[in-house]
Amino acid sequence: MSYDKDYDIIYEGLAQHVYLETSEDVQVLRSLAKRFSVRIFKEGDALWELSANSGQLHFILSGAFAEYLMDGRVPHLLRFYSKNRFAYSEDLILYSTRPATYTTCLVEARVASIPAGALAEYLMKEKLGGQLLTSLIELSMTEYRNTTYEMLQTSGIHRIHAAIEQFPDVLNLIPRKELADYLGISRASLFRSLKQLEHGKDAGTISV
Amino acid sequence: MAKTLEQLVYDFFRGLPAYTTDMEDTVKAIIDGFDQPVIKKKGAIITELAPPNKDFWFLCDGYLKEIYKNPFLNEDALFNFIPPSNVFVNEDSLFYNKRPQHYYKAYTDVAIASLSNEKFQKIKSKYPAIIKLYLSGTAEIQKNRRARLLMLRMSNTQDRIDWVRNRRGELYKIMDRVTLAQYIGVSRASLYRAFDKTGKSQF
Repeated sequence: MSYDKDYDIIYEGLAQHVYLETSEDVQVLRSLAKRFSVRIFKEGDALWELSANSGQLHFILSGAFAEYLMDGRVPHLLRFYSKNRFAYSEDLILYSTRPATYTTCLVEARVASIPAGALAEYLMKEKLGGQLLTSLIELSMTEYRNTTYEMLQTSGIHRIHAAIEQFPDVLNLIPRKELADYLGISRASLFRSLKQLEHGKDAGTISV
Repeated sequence: MAKTLEQLVYDFFRGLPAYTTDMEDTVKAIIDGFDQPVIKKKGAIITELAPPNKDFWFLCDGYLKEIYKNPFLNEDALFNFIPPSNVFVNEDSLFYNKRPQHYYKAYTDVAIASLSNEKFQKIKSKYPAIIKLYLSGTAEIQKNRRARLLMLRMSNTQDRIDWVRNRRGELYKIMDRVTLAQYIGVSRASLYRAFDKTGKSQF
């Protein structure tokens, strides 16, 4: 894929988070898009690590990642990032402190990234800068809200449905054991729920 | 003696990781922007947050239930339980200019104060640092949400109860069992079974 095409996609992604009033706004945002650099990630590569001390804003062009939160020494799968989504550590971007989470590549990916320093320049100097980070943080908060809806369902099937609604590929991204942990249900319950889905009225729409 | 609104709001902002001493004037302007608190009785719906309210609300005293419509069961259910000295907003209205999907109900008598969006915008034009505080406040709410998500993913009800007791002790002490069951995402029957099994009472 050509870099120009990538920059167009990054620009479109950024433009969803700011209100472009003038042609100058468009120009500034296009030049910000061109400051992203594109990299390939193989399965298991880290998008950011617990030991990272400099942050980046990432835009996923293809592939998928999982973000893990440490609880003591145990990592817990928190959420997924897939195509056309932004990914970043709030700790690194907002506070320049070591992150509480790390993010790993699940499916080979192409990712466009911009260092926090270059982003901060845009945030401070450009009038749309404040809008961009605010919008990204708000979107992230909404995603956590949606994931909380998933987890507040007491039935395994409802949890699976809610998870699929948010991450359509969730059943294919991770092994079943990890999926059961992610959904907060036992493996037996996961298999029962998946069987029920397979044989139930949803069989035509959900591939298990 | 109970703290004043000014002290409570000041403490809240000073506790944010992004707060630095050069933001003192910004915080002072925020405090001055708040209206005087209003009191709501236990069980009252906070109608002040009816659409299209985009204001910022500060819970000075008491506890609030944040309620949403569970799309799978088509009934109203607890989304979150908010302790005093916290900010709450209509996320859907404030972020996306949409009709709110959540509403707030007083779990105890509560005192709430608002900072209108209009005043927020005025403060922003004079004190841009308010954006950093806003981002930091939002990020802190996220941290709480993701911590709670770990609890909601525990497959054992007793582990979830222990998490609330150990990490949200203030909430654990005040929640009745129905609210606790909703907060940890289990049925009432499961919660009662867990208490019966351990022989422990909630309090």
